[in-house]
Amino acid sequence: MERHHFLLRRLHSLTGIVPIGLFLVMHLTTNSTILWGAFNTRIDGEGFDRRVGTFQKEVEFINELPLLLLIEITLWGAIAFHSVLGVYYATSGKGNTGAYRYQSNLRYSLQRWTGYLGFLFIVYHIATLRWGWSFLVPGGTEWSHHFAASTLAAALRGGDEGFTALGVAVSLFYFLGVTALVFHFANGLWTAAITWGLTVTVTAQKRWGYACTAIGAGLMVAGWASVVGFAALDPAEARQVEMSLHGEVPTDGGEAEARSMDVSSRGGDTIEHSGGQH
Amino acid sequence: MAAEASTGMNERVIRVRLKRQDGPDARPRWESFDVPVGTGSNVTSVLQWICAHPVTVEGKNTTPPVYDSGCLEEVCGSCTMVVNGRVRQACSALIDHYCPKDGDELTLEPMTKFPVVRDLSVDRSRLFSNLERMRAWVPVDGTYDLGAGPEETPEAQQTRYVLSTCMSCGCCLEACPQYTLETDEEAWDRAFVGAAVISQARYFNMHETGSSLKKVRLTELSGPGGVSDCGNAQNCVNVCPKEIPLTESIAAIGRQVTAHNIRQFFSGD
Amino acid sequence: MAGASQQQRVIVVGGGLAGLAAAVRITEGGIPVDLFSIVPVKRSHSVCAQGGINACNDIARQQGYSEHEHFDETIYGGDFLAHQPPVYEMAQMAPRIIDLLDRMGVPFNRTAEGQRDLRLFGGSLYKRTHFSGATTGQQLMYALDEQVRRAEAAGKVHKYEHWEFLRPVLDEMGACRGIVAQDLRTMQIRAFRADAVVMATGGCGLVFGQSTNSVMCTGAAASRCYQAGVKYANGEFIQVHPTAIPGADKLRLMSESARGEGGRVWVPGKKDASGAWGPHPQPGMDPRQIPDEDRYYFLEERYPAYGNIVPRDIATREIFNVCLEGMGVGGGRMVYLDLSFKPREELERKLGGIMEIYRKFVGEDPCEFPMKIFPGVHYSMGGLWTRYTPKSDLRGLEKGAPGNMMTNVEGLYAFGEVNYQYHGANRLGANALLSCIFDGLFNGESVVNYVRDNAHAPASAVEQGLYAGAEQIEGDKEKDLLARDGDQNVYEISAELGDEMTEASTVIKTGERLQRAIDKVAELRDRYRRIGVADASMWTNQALSFAKSVGDMIAIGDAILRGGMLREESRGSHYRADHPERNDERFLKSTIAEFDPQSKTASITFEDVEVGMVEPRKRTYGKIEPASGQKAGAKTEPAGASN
Repeated sequence: MERHHFLLRRLHSLTGIVPIGLFLVMHLTTNSTILWGAFNTRIDGEGFDRRVGTFQKEVEFINELPLLLLIEITLWGAIAFHSVLGVYYATSGKGNTGAYRYQSNLRYSLQRWTGYLGFLFIVYHIATLRWGWSFLVPGGTEWSHHFAASTLAAALRGGDEGFTALGVAVSLFYFLGVTALVFHFANGLWTAAITWGLTVTVTAQKRWGYACTAIGAGLMVAGWASVVGFAALDPAEARQVEMSLHGEVPTDGGEAEARSMDVSSRGGDTIEHSGGQH
Repeated sequence: MAAEASTGMNERVIRVRLKRQDGPDARPRWESFDVPVGTGSNVTSVLQWICAHPVTVEGKNTTPPVYDSGCLEEVCGSCTMVVNGRVRQACSALIDHYCPKDGDELTLEPMTKFPVVRDLSVDRSRLFSNLERMRAWVPVDGTYDLGAGPEETPEAQQTRYVLSTCMSCGCCLEACPQYTLETDEEAWDRAFVGAAVISQARYFNMHETGSSLKKVRLTELSGPGGVSDCGNAQNCVNVCPKEIPLTESIAAIGRQVTAHNIRQFFSGD
Repeated sequence: MAGASQQQRVIVVGGGLAGLAAAVRITEGGIPVDLFSIVPVKRSHSVCAQGGINACNDIARQQGYSEHEHFDETIYGGDFLAHQPPVYEMAQMAPRIIDLLDRMGVPFNRTAEGQRDLRLFGGSLYKRTHFSGATTGQQLMYALDEQVRRAEAAGKVHKYEHWEFLRPVLDEMGACRGIVAQDLRTMQIRAFRADAVVMATGGCGLVFGQSTNSVMCTGAAASRCYQAGVKYANGEFIQVHPTAIPGADKLRLMSESARGEGGRVWVPGKKDASGAWGPHPQPGMDPRQIPDEDRYYFLEERYPAYGNIVPRDIATREIFNVCLEGMGVGGGRMVYLDLSFKPREELERKLGGIMEIYRKFVGEDPCEFPMKIFPGVHYSMGGLWTRYTPKSDLRGLEKGAPGNMMTNVEGLYAFGEVNYQYHGANRLGANALLSCIFDGLFNGESVVNYVRDNAHAPASAVEQGLYAGAEQIEGDKEKDLLARDGDQNVYEISAELGDEMTEASTVIKTGERLQRAIDKVAELRDRYRRIGVADASMWTNQALSFAKSVGDMIAIGDAILRGGMLREESRGSHYRADHPERNDERFLKSTIAEFDPQSKTASITFEDVEVGMVEPRKRTYGKIEPASGQKAGAKTEPAGASN
């Protein structure tokens, strides 16, 4: 560890930007379609919610990426590396915002706390929605990329029927987790420029600071939009849209059917993408 | 040593809470003193007064407090301590600022990032040991007459001059969340060197002759305790009494270290 | 207990400019150095020097200046009291010292072309002062500190920081074979062997209570040598710097460079019909509102040639007198030093360090307001007596002669402010840094040669008993001190000593006042026997080491007063109102104080000054007598002094 001190430190900095940061930008852009998808005119929105449709298309696009699993494993590896080293580095310091209340010092401490929180959030997020640890999801919803919006909304709300108390907690956790990660990324971009020696003078550091604030603000809007968008989504209505996208006739009892379909999809992944537009 | 704590104007009495510690392994304790002050009083003159009148507010005779002081004009770096919770030079800490009114309270503590010797006096050897580790010198060929040194533009001189005013007071280290107490001398070569030392490395790397040791310094700064241990809290630059642009030094060394390592990776030496 | 390595070693006591320069030069000569310092060497008092360092340079040379001129200015500035051969050598070496410091990386200010910039300084009409902002001493000392750190890393120097010098160890022949020192943390008293010892412990400003000196400048180390038999010379010559900022704990120096860069000294005043100046009707008026015709630029009027850059002793007396005449700012003891008319950018670039000090400690911006200043004790021209080997024509010193800067004790040297050379009766600004480094570099070689050619057995062969005995003496002294348990407060004694010395023996002295001060010091010596030390701890006992030094300050104070008492003339910084003329016939002599162990007081003799090349002449700096009719401050114009 001591021999490769420099390499490890710089890899820690680098992984925060590529791939993790880059993924975060894409992920939040995709997810925030749950709000701005309403303006997506490239999708035929006759009779259904464009937001759900756009999001579903995006998810499907991603799911069709070649070597998706390799990309995922790389990402998980990078997150694990960044987190483990991050915790090790963070515990080597000792915050002192009580005595030295400078803005940069507050950000130093926040960077560490958002790192811890963000890590917990990512683990929960991946475990429940990707690895299928549905016992951690209130209501037991399991996410399906075929019913991306509806299952996500159900996971956030604690089930298909309105908000449960635990659902509120999950939504809040998402809100905090996303907020933490966006801050962590934007502030990390700012410090990385010093670490690598890109911004040397105070003026340059200030300028880059404004740029990072703008990037952070943009991502924050996207992140909050995503969380609010999904938490506010009625899973049942979303399901109707998704089913119609898959070419299935939505019924009034769509909910029950959807559930059975869900089971079958898990069973053998037999659903045809017949409803696809292309 | 002046036994007067004031110049005679705006006379008042303040309450001074002092963290006492009889030795490195002793338990710290608090003592309070009532001290007459006036316009022009500073923390050092208050300590001088207490030394001459070592009686606590309870009327108990105590030992004169031990503290470091030197030039009293903020160029020697001796009198660093924690005044009302924040690190600074005691000599330039004016009482009018801290305790404008009669009965106001002043709290004095030793620095926390260095081992306490006694009372307010701490052992800052680690800082000097790290300067040695950083080869903080210009390797001249001896004192014989070899003509003038390298020419320098006024701009470069101005940059170097500011860096050269670092008096090794340790304020930047005390305020740094990444710089922690290390009592084991063996560990000083691996523990974080802190802003002051990084800035000195930059200072010597800027000098034509001094830069002949640049590689050694950058290799040292790439390793454990080097510049990458900086967490960018930037307290250093905020507490530096000489207003040295420490964060610029850190970034400049960051750039040098990046280039140094990339070069080394491809050249292999 | 002293180590018994076979290798020859030199001990340097003091880690300021002189001590560091000596360590560099002696290790370069192949002899390892043990460097003792009360404080980490980087915190030594040399950091306080602000203005610059003098040396002839190419520009000044083309305007007619030369090393000889520098030498002459220094002798004239010192009122002919300095021995001339060492001063000559110093002026000759000065340009090479600047080059060396430049090579060591000192950030000297630069001109647009990249040459070393120069400024005007007191006592010269030529720009010959090299500078690094307004913290030149700090920059020079750091450069040497770095070289010593390098030598330390190479194993050539061993630092003993937080160790206090207690006494020289003298053998039965009277030669110095080491020192006794005390670890200020463990309080261990220990003897160290050395083949030669260099004292580089600076001045004794603290004897005067408030001064521009750092708190460790008590003169205790010099006093301990003096009490061990080293002669103390010219003690009465204490430089009072004309421009200091009065403060509660110390007088902070406002560098002469403030005047060198154009600063003007003035007081509010009103001219009467005859053109004579009198006090301003509103002495407390905002200085910025006072029109130019109501500003009395007394230095410029009285010294048209030199103006504000007259030497320090003269500026000090003029400021002092103007205040005595009731013309001080607000009627008090303060005058204005004005830079506020200069562009802020230039002030920050050239004088940033001292502008900042004023701003921090006074709370006013000197770029906006004139600074309020008053003279303060600054430098000891006197100090440990040293000898030297002049060249046969008295032009300089025999390079490397073992006797250069050796005290009357064989093997015990004194470098820098602690000796009495170079500056005579008044030191010129920016000559102190020069003399300290010169001592270390030039005379360091003498130490090397002394050790190399040593006629004595090496210190490592000296019997242990000598060192054990010396330790014993200091141990017993300490026990005695701790056992006193009297009712006298040692801090009060030191404060009273300071007040008495300042009143009796600084700017204006009289025989009668000096005699009273001698009596007062005798009383303090008596009370000192009845002190109680408030701390009996054997760990970092600052109260104990301070108590020790107060006894030594009393001894030095006595020597200073007695020298001043017997010197019935006025010369340089020593102004006797009862003997306002310089008297070369009786007093072109060094004052030599020798400690009498019986009476614990100084016995004074006089010794001829080595004149050499420059014959004493009147020292007037072209003074024109003020038209106001008040008495001239100084003896500077003997013919017109009664006016």
